[in-house]
Amino acid sequence: MPERETIQAYLQTVADQIRWKRARPVVTLELQRHLEDQRDAFTEEGNAPEEAERLAVEEMGDPVAVGAELDRIHRPKPQWGLLALTMLLALAGGFLRVWLTAGWDDGYLAVDPVRTLAAVSLGTACLLGAYFLDYSFLGRYAREVYIAAISAGLLSLWLSPKVNNASYYTRYVALCYPVIYAVWLYACRGKSWKGLFLAIAGGVPLALVCWRAPSVLGLFLLLVSGLILLLAAARMDWFGIGKLSTAAVPLGIALLTALGGYGLLRRGYGASRIAVLLHPETDPKGYGYQALMTRAILTCSRWMGEGAIPSMSCYERIVPNVDHELLPLTIIFKLGWLPYLLLLLVLAALLAWLLFRCLRQKSQLGRMVALAVVLTLGLQTVSSVVLNLGFVLFSAELPLLVGNLHTVLDMGLIGLALSVFRGDAVARENRIEGTGRGFIPVGIHCKRWQNSQKDEKIFSVSLILKRR
Amino acid sequence: MEMDKGLVSGSMALLVMKLLEDGDKYGYQMIEELKRRSDDTFHLKAGTLYPLLHGLEEKGLVTAYEQEAAAGKPRRYYHLTEQGGAALREKERAWNVYARAVGRVLKGGACCAGA
Repeated sequence: MPERETIQAYLQTVADQIRWKRARPVVTLELQRHLEDQRDAFTEEGNAPEEAERLAVEEMGDPVAVGAELDRIHRPKPQWGLLALTMLLALAGGFLRVWLTAGWDDGYLAVDPVRTLAAVSLGTACLLGAYFLDYSFLGRYAREVYIAAISAGLLSLWLSPKVNNASYYTRYVALCYPVIYAVWLYACRGKSWKGLFLAIAGGVPLALVCWRAPSVLGLFLLLVSGLILLLAAARMDWFGIGKLSTAAVPLGIALLTALGGYGLLRRGYGASRIAVLLHPETDPKGYGYQALMTRAILTCSRWMGEGAIPSMSCYERIVPNVDHELLPLTIIFKLGWLPYLLLLLVLAALLAWLLFRCLRQKSQLGRMVALAVVLTLGLQTVSSVVLNLGFVLFSAELPLLVGNLHTVLDMGLIGLALSVFRGDAVARENRIEGTGRGFIPVGIHCKRWQNSQKDEKIFSVSLILKRR
Repeated sequence: MEMDKGLVSGSMALLVMKLLEDGDKYGYQMIEELKRRSDDTFHLKAGTLYPLLHGLEEKGLVTAYEQEAAAGKPRRYYHLTEQGGAALREKERAWNVYARAVGRVLKGGACCAGA
């Protein structure tokens, strides 16, 4: 049989017309299955295998025309608007960090312009790198990604320097843990109750890394987004045990954890921190100091322009960390409430836009990964706003605006979400509708035989799939 | 009977969506079903069907999912969405108006030719 009349040659010609490489295997797999069905039908009608294959290819139509038409449909969806908005916010954040701290007396407080520029550049590289990445590898290598994330956490606990009694780099690793947890949930799909147990148990090592750091923000992000991701998995019935049953277990655990946490916080150190959170005036020189000073600065701030402090002290000497986690307070004090609220509005618009696009994703893995990114950024934003209003429980950075390394990581996470949106046109899961069950490859079967009549060698490779 | 290609291609999306109204199907099934229902009049080539289906999926008129077919092989099934159902009803209505108009003209032509 001439090579151009074989199924493989037909599929190759179709694939050659499709410019987006990620679309090729997805599209050609469906055509291949159709051609094989058609070939089998012709064989059953009494045709010789080669003739059946030739007829099947003929039935399909011109491969160049088919490929060109599929190429027109399957194009990546560029996300230039979201990319530009992310870069604009990161640039604005970098500029504000340098500008607002430049004239301060304490040189050590000032944010180094070179390091800030390097962070924004590196963040842009991470944003674009993640954007052009095929995020579906997270699903293909879910277990490996999960183990690598745990290893990175343990390594950072071991090697990282301690700042304020906390492992410095672990809190940055912890920022990625909600995404890692989403990937872990994906790996547990279709395994019934065992899958749900593994899904919940998989969060424990991640939480322990945050606990050991300690990174309260990391733990908070992981617990809250982990619960929401589990509920999202329940909505899609990922474990095949029913939506309500799946949702009931994490909700029950969350309720018990909340009750246990409440019991712990009613006495000891936790109780004193909560008391100071609500009434910082009870410990004005200790834990309540930052909250009291923050609130005092806020009362001295104006809608537009720099606020006025009654005492003779310099602003930057009154409150700690005004060049970092309390930079939003600096923006309020130095520039006014209106510029701060405008910045928040732009950030909220970016997050709302990301959430809107996330909920419209066809790919379940893509939707979960993007949701984890939106939750990470959204919860950070809420925590930072609360902190900068004088409610001090744990430190939190405003995404894209505060902190060099934070900006780099946040930009990388947004790039990952944008990669999901970009590739949605070809994002497909091997999913069994209604049961959440899927297929896993269990082997490759190779067959080779000699066609004695035409002196040709035929070689076929089949991928063997097994139900999860 | 061999149909005029132009006449068929314009209404192919309507026919494909109509097939999905009765239940989810995969590509090969749709071609066979279309042949059967049209007494072999519509012989849709797979090379035409898949770009059409992918285009409908892109517009949100159909969704697709993987499921094992009767033979135990995984197949990509297409499902008509709510939006697709509304589009189908609109296309059907437009087609019926068009078909009635053509019918009236043809009847009138036959009547006059005979007179």
